[in-house]
Amino acid sequence: MAKDLHTFLGSVKEKPIYFETVKREVDPLSFETAAILKHLQQQKRNPIVFFEKVKAVNRGPSIFPLVDNLFATRELCALALELPPEKAGLALSLEFSKRENDKIEPVLVEKGKAPVKEVIIKENDVDLTKFPAGRFHEMDVGPYFTMTDIMRGEGGFYDVSFVKHLILDKKFMTVSLHYTIRKHLLYILEANEEKNRPTPIVVVLGHHPAFFLGAGALKELGNNDYETIGAFLGEPLRLTPSETWGEDFLVPADAEIVIEGEVIPHKREIQNPFGEYSGYYQPQCLMPVMEVKVITHRKNAIMQQVFPASSGHFNLGSIPKEGSIYNEIKKVAPEVTGVYLPHSGSGRISCYVSVKKRREGDAKQAGLMPFLLSGQIKYVVVVDDDVDIYNEQEVLWALITRLDLSRGVDLIKNMPRYDRVLIDATRPLDRPFPAKNTVPREVMERIRLSDYLS
Amino acid sequence: MALKEDIFWVKCPGCGGKFYCDRELRHNREIPLRCPFCQRRFFTHESSEIFE
Repeated sequence: MAKDLHTFLGSVKEKPIYFETVKREVDPLSFETAAILKHLQQQKRNPIVFFEKVKAVNRGPSIFPLVDNLFATRELCALALELPPEKAGLALSLEFSKRENDKIEPVLVEKGKAPVKEVIIKENDVDLTKFPAGRFHEMDVGPYFTMTDIMRGEGGFYDVSFVKHLILDKKFMTVSLHYTIRKHLLYILEANEEKNRPTPIVVVLGHHPAFFLGAGALKELGNNDYETIGAFLGEPLRLTPSETWGEDFLVPADAEIVIEGEVIPHKREIQNPFGEYSGYYQPQCLMPVMEVKVITHRKNAIMQQVFPASSGHFNLGSIPKEGSIYNEIKKVAPEVTGVYLPHSGSGRISCYVSVKKRREGDAKQAGLMPFLLSGQIKYVVVVDDDVDIYNEQEVLWALITRLDLSRGVDLIKNMPRYDRVLIDATRPLDRPFPAKNTVPREVMERIRLSDYLS
Repeated sequence: MALKEDIFWVKCPGCGGKFYCDRELRHNREIPLRCPFCQRRFFTHESSEIFE
């Protein structure tokens, strides 16, 4: 049986820590799904949330239920890659990095055997307002989809990337392509616009979470992302011909919902404000527009979304980068013991590195590398390996007690987009420094709380 | 800054709600802005209050 969203949900459904169902009707366009997710977040609870009964954009009953929080914890991301939850730290990042460099060739299945073809909606029957798309933050301009798009580049490779869409009406939506770090889809679109050609585009609104983790892999333009996604699934991605372009554009056979359409050359429409990962609204701007041609979906399809600026959104930014950064630092600074992009930096903007320091300079050598590998990282803090980088209180403690302001802070100027700051919060080795308090390890291991407290 | 700074705030002539836009829209007269609070479409020059 091929992996899909249903097989994954089936594997976690019985555990309340991982899965919750909302049975009462909710209205995503009136921020109700966002409010439930935000309440859970404030209670430090991050289960997958399945919204059984939801209103559509047109305020009628949605044809699909909705699911969110698939990536809300590192443990859920580990489970998606079939790792045990206890491997959700650096081991998960390293596994991600390994799979990023693997490839499994996809396989073709007939349309008749593809679950995503169970229902086919064409032409005048296409109606995006029947979807349960929502607004998440107060200033969001309208209902958005927040999953992935697929385009084909010159030479035929498939590029799969996270892209949001603002629904404009029954058949049209914006395609949010920005001049930021990874702009593969924008390159493909611009190449077509130069020739005044429409750009075929496919939107995937639900699949096994490993599909989306694979889509987040940091691959070069020209990579066939379908092969990379196969490596994340641990099996060939099953593909089937699209309704619009046949075998010239293959789509994921086990997706929940696939929207096929074309980006109209040079047409632009207003998009945003939209509350983004930084915790601020992206400003109103002009974005390309796509016309929907066909929608295909399973009979029991579930629409998937990612609540912006939530822990799931942060994990989708951090986990794909940590393993690669660790491996690259290791090449020049073998003292590195861990890399973490914390949620306080939206999983993208700040980076904590731990090192087993042997000489002065080790920390800075290790700390420079993240800036070169990710254009979004603005702050790097390097700490000793006795500090748990996944615990921000410990990182701040190291910063407050070990940072020598006169030589531990470097401002790196004239980098793209903004200046960077490297902070070396490791203990000095070239002068006496106090020892950290510890309860003797042997006693900690011998004393079990359950023997002393009921 | 990590955040986009080249923005301007605008007040909707319909509901009075304030939101912000990319600088590229400051003198745009082809595609009207869209108020996120009341959905009214309007051009920047119709706004009674612009903060830039």
